[in-house]
Amino acid sequence: MEVTLLVHATDQAFEIIENARRQAVELLNSTVGLAAEEQRWMEEKRIRALFTGAQAVKTRRLNFLGTFFILFFVWCILSGHFDVFHLSLAVICCGLVAHMSYDLLFANVRFVDMRTIAKRFIAYIPWLLEQIVLANIHVAALALNPKMPIDPKIITFKTKLESDVSWVTLANSITLTPGTVTVDIKEGVFYVHALSKKVADDLNTGEMEDRVAHVYMEADHIYIQDVLDMARIYGLLKGIGG
Amino acid sequence: MQQFFLIVGTGLCFLVLLCLYRGVFGPTVLNRLAGISAIGTKTLVILLLMGFIYGRVDMFVDISMVYSILNFIGTLAVAKYLETKGEV
Amino acid sequence: MIRTTDDVIIKTVSRIFTPFIQIFALYVIMHGHYSPGGGFQGGVILGAGFILLVITQGLDETRRRFSQKLDTIFCSIGLLVYSGIGMLCLIIGGNYLDYSKLSKILPVLAAKARSLGILGVEIGVGIGVMAVMYSIFSDIVTGGE
Repeated sequence: MEVTLLVHATDQAFEIIENARRQAVELLNSTVGLAAEEQRWMEEKRIRALFTGAQAVKTRRLNFLGTFFILFFVWCILSGHFDVFHLSLAVICCGLVAHMSYDLLFANVRFVDMRTIAKRFIAYIPWLLEQIVLANIHVAALALNPKMPIDPKIITFKTKLESDVSWVTLANSITLTPGTVTVDIKEGVFYVHALSKKVADDLNTGEMEDRVAHVYMEADHIYIQDVLDMARIYGLLKGIGG
Repeated sequence: MQQFFLIVGTGLCFLVLLCLYRGVFGPTVLNRLAGISAIGTKTLVILLLMGFIYGRVDMFVDISMVYSILNFIGTLAVAKYLETKGEV
Repeated sequence: MIRTTDDVIIKTVSRIFTPFIQIFALYVIMHGHYSPGGGFQGGVILGAGFILLVITQGLDETRRRFSQKLDTIFCSIGLLVYSGIGMLCLIIGGNYLDYSKLSKILPVLAAKARSLGILGVEIGVGIGVMAVMYSIFSDIVTGGE
C-alpha cells in the first residue's frame, strides 16, 4: 500500500510540475506579445509626437505653404494661360486642394532639411539614368543571345535606411533599372528578384543604397560627398574666423 | 516626320495585339490583369503619337495623363480585391 | 470594412500622388472650353482620387478627412449650383440656362457672360459627380451601413 501511495504522490507531483510549466509558458508568450505591441505603440506615439504643441501649428503652416507653391507650379505648367482671371482661379483651386490634403505630401520630414534634400535629389537623377542605360544594354544583350544565359534568383538584404520615403525611392530605383525587380519589403528587409549574376553583384555592392541614404541624409557612415560639403563649410568658417 | 510616327504607331498596335493574347487566354485572372496593365502603358504612347500626327499635342497630353491615372487606380483596386479573396 | 494596405510602397506613393491628382482634376474642370475636359470628367477624376485614398489608407482614415455629412452636403450643393444658375437666368428674364442674360448682373459683355455661366455650371456638375461617386463607393463597400 505504501507503494501505491508513493506512485499516487509521484503522479500528483508530476501533474503540479506540468501545470506550473504550462502556466510559465503562457505567461512568457503573453509577455512577448505585450512587449511587441507596446513597442509598436511607442513607435506610433513617437511618430505622432514628432509634431506636438506650438511646433505643430508652425509645421502645419509650413506644410500648407509648401504644398500650395508646388501645386501652383504644377498648375502653371499644365495651363498656358497667365491672365488675371485664370491666375485667380489657380490661387483658389490650389488653396482648396492644399487645405484638404496638406499633411499628405510632407508627412514626417523636417522643414529645415527640405532644400538640401531637394537639391541632392535633383543631382541623383542623372546618375540613375546612366545606370538605367547601362543595365538596359546588358539585359538586351542577354535576351538576344540564342542561349540566354540568365540565372534568376531572389536576393534579400537588410537596409540601413529609416524613413518610408527613402525605402520607396530605393525600391523604385531598383525596379526602374532593368534586370532587378523589388518583390517585397517586410520589416526593413528587401526581397529583390535579379536576372543574372552580374546584375546581382551590382546590387550587392550597395552603391545605390549609399546614394539614396546620401540624398535623404540618413546613413551614419562617412560618405565622400558629406566630407566635401563639410570641408567647404569648414573652409568658409575658418576664412571668416582667421 | 509623320511617316515615322505612323510606322511607330502601327508597330505599337501590333505589340498591343500580342499583349491581348495574354489578356484573353491567360490561365488565371492575375495574368489577365498584368496583360491589361501592359496594354495600358502602350496606349499612352499611341495617344501621344496620334497627338503628333494631328498636330495638337497639348490636347492629347491631357487625355494621356487622365488615362494613366485611371489605369493606376484601376489596377490597384482589382489587385487588392483579388488579394483578400473578395473583400476590398 | 476596408483595412489599410500593408505595403509600404503603395501607401507612400498614393499618399504623395493624391494632391497632384486632385489639382489635375480641378485643372480639367476649369479648362473645359480650351481642351478636352469639363465638369463630368473632372468630377470623375476627383472621385477616383478619393477612392484611391480609401483603398490605400482605409475607410476610417478617409472618413476623418471627408466625412459622410460633408459628402451629402456636396451632393446637394452641386445640384443647387447647376439649377441655381439656370433659375437665375430665368428670373432675370431669359430662358432657362440662357447665360447671356447674366450680363445684366455682372459687368461683362454677353459673350463673356456665357463663358462664365458655363464655367459655373461645370463646377456644380463636377462637385456633384465627385460626391456621388464617393458616396456610392463607400455604400457598396460597407454593405449598406
